Amino acid sequence: MSIDTIIGLDVSRANQPADVLIIGAGASGGVVARRLAEAGMRVVCLEQGEWHDRSEYRGAELDWELTARQQWSPSPNIRALPEDYPVDDKRSDVSPLMFSGVGGSMLLFAGAWPRLLPSDFRVRSLDGVADDWPLSYEELRPYYERNDRQIGVSGLGGDPAYPAGAEPPLPPLPIGAGGMKVARAHSRLGWHWWPEPNAILSAAYQGRKPCVQRGTCMQGCGEGAKASTDLTHWPIAIKHGATLITGARVRRIETNPAGLATGATWLDSDGREHFQAANAVVVAANGVGTPRLLLLSSSSKHPDGLANSSGLVGKRLMMHPFANVTGLFDDELESWQGHFGCSIESFEFYETDERRGFVRGAKWGLAPTGGPVNAALPSRAGEQVWGADHHLHVRNRLGRGASWGLFGEDLPDEQNHVKLSKTATDSSGLPAPELHYSVSENSRRMLDFHIGKASESLVEAGAHTIEVDSLMRYSGWHLLGTARMGIDPSSSVVDKWNRAHDVANLYVVDGSCFVTSGGVNPTSTICALALRSADRMVDTRHELPVVW
Amino acid sequence: MISMPPAFIDPGRLAIFAALADHLIPADHDMPSAGTVVNRQRIAFVLTSRPDLGDPLLAALRPELSHIPAARLATLATCEPEYLAALHLTVVAGYYSDADVRNRIGYPGQVARPVHALDFPAYVEEGLIDHVIARGPIWRNPAPPTGIGG
Repeated sequence: MSIDTIIGLDVSRANQPADVLIIGAGASGGVVARRLAEAGMRVVCLEQGEWHDRSEYRGAELDWELTARQQWSPSPNIRALPEDYPVDDKRSDVSPLMFSGVGGSMLLFAGAWPRLLPSDFRVRSLDGVADDWPLSYEELRPYYERNDRQIGVSGLGGDPAYPAGAEPPLPPLPIGAGGMKVARAHSRLGWHWWPEPNAILSAAYQGRKPCVQRGTCMQGCGEGAKASTDLTHWPIAIKHGATLITGARVRRIETNPAGLATGATWLDSDGREHFQAANAVVVAANGVGTPRLLLLSSSSKHPDGLANSSGLVGKRLMMHPFANVTGLFDDELESWQGHFGCSIESFEFYETDERRGFVRGAKWGLAPTGGPVNAALPSRAGEQVWGADHHLHVRNRLGRGASWGLFGEDLPDEQNHVKLSKTATDSSGLPAPELHYSVSENSRRMLDFHIGKASESLVEAGAHTIEVDSLMRYSGWHLLGTARMGIDPSSSVVDKWNRAHDVANLYVVDGSCFVTSGGVNPTSTICALALRSADRMVDTRHELPVVW
Repeated sequence: MISMPPAFIDPGRLAIFAALADHLIPADHDMPSAGTVVNRQRIAFVLTSRPDLGDPLLAALRPELSHIPAARLATLATCEPEYLAALHLTVVAGYYSDADVRNRIGYPGQVARPVHALDFPAYVEEGLIDHVIARGPIWRNPAPPTGIGG
């Protein structure tokens, strides 16, 4: 189905000045579009990807493990679709992952939906490192809760790892046989565990169907049970008048002599150039795409890139170095099934204990271990067996694993950055982003400690074999920090409402705005911040400079 | 998806493929060998789903490399790992997409299992979160903002 069919696109109308132009139709772009459109603002969004119908996803098909490695890979460098842009990651310890399309990376994300913890907003005050955020958990909590209702979050209230608050709107998803084993182990150890909140429906909700535990969330949810803004936000935004133009690659954000944003120049899939005028611009293109676009938008008024008087656009890239610890069990766990968000989580070792030799911590999330192709090919830990013992190797793995994913807090470092490549380009000839990223000594010590503890957890649960991937290269889902939020314009890019210090009608609402990374999956926080920013845009709409 | 032509792999390369597949996954432990399972039809299944594997697979099967499977695999591992990866994936995906093989390993596929959300969770009934609740809050109460770095 074409976008024209879906929204009755009128190009002449789309070229009229918008109240707000949003660049990127993923998580944060969808949240902002819905809020602004519901408030009656004229919203236009440019998205370089397309709509994807649920029938395209391969989770119920025989070839799901094949297509997961190419067509539905989360790596833009592997997919290499025209709407993707390549990322030069040769100088990065971790490869970035993302997806271009309506719903953005949520189409392929796991669905895990934890929040940052209160201490994450006060890292400088508590631990003397990095920076405090200009807002607190309590200020953000109402937005987390509103988002949970819009998204349809399943979970169990009352987790003592967090302050009290509203219950998730839906009951928790099942934790599976593997989750039960590890939960019993943590009960014996006296360690924290809790059913993980997930942006996956445990029951029918707002016209969407519940999860069927197919275990293929990260290749797209065929049921539509996993939330993504193409399901949860864009239909509502469009119903309220928002215009979403797909196949639209933004080339640069334009500014006027006063330095205000006037809209964006974009290229359609045939390479024709267009201009979309707007009185305000919202950038929602992820922690790599956003700094890339701001750097591409330099002008005489903004010679080092748009909104970059601090010099911090593209700097302080954080990607959550990720380790994986898998336990193999004698029992049949059917661990190819279940939702792939996380069945259970543990915050036992999340907060700083300096006796461990590092500051901050990591969240653990327990996940399924895939199908037979995954069991047969070389494992994350590099294990491979061919010959007669191959059969035993597969039987020992398939359906008998439980895997702790360890997200370590990544402290900001200006050496970790995104810049424009001088050689690589996308299919439109625009410079590709180039990543420079090293895992810090603090992160390495943190991961090693957590690998040891996670191994202890799985051994207590009865695992006979532990396999470790101490740093997974293809784990860069969480692209954060490259246009940080703050009060001081000399040390931050956007203010506490996500508005650029340098450009009064420009907002950055994706993970770029993060001050620190925390040690949890960030999408719920990205959405909460975006909703908070959108509320502010609505409340201050009459104070915005009128450009057109 | 693009269907791969039936004659995509010539008989010579098909014989090399079968020998390599047998070497990687031989018949044993009540399981058939990959050389017998991954026939032209199963290869076509793989390449229809993943046309990008065609060229590297053909390269891995080119006649000028050794016809001794272990020697060919060693050469590929050392000199052309991307071709070896394509071979491995074709063998494995072809093998484990076969209905008889899946039946023998007890894998039904990614089947739909509806969630019964209103069932009382077994972990609550078993008391597995009691110790977590009994310990009380573990989140760290942050100090007031200092403005440092803000």
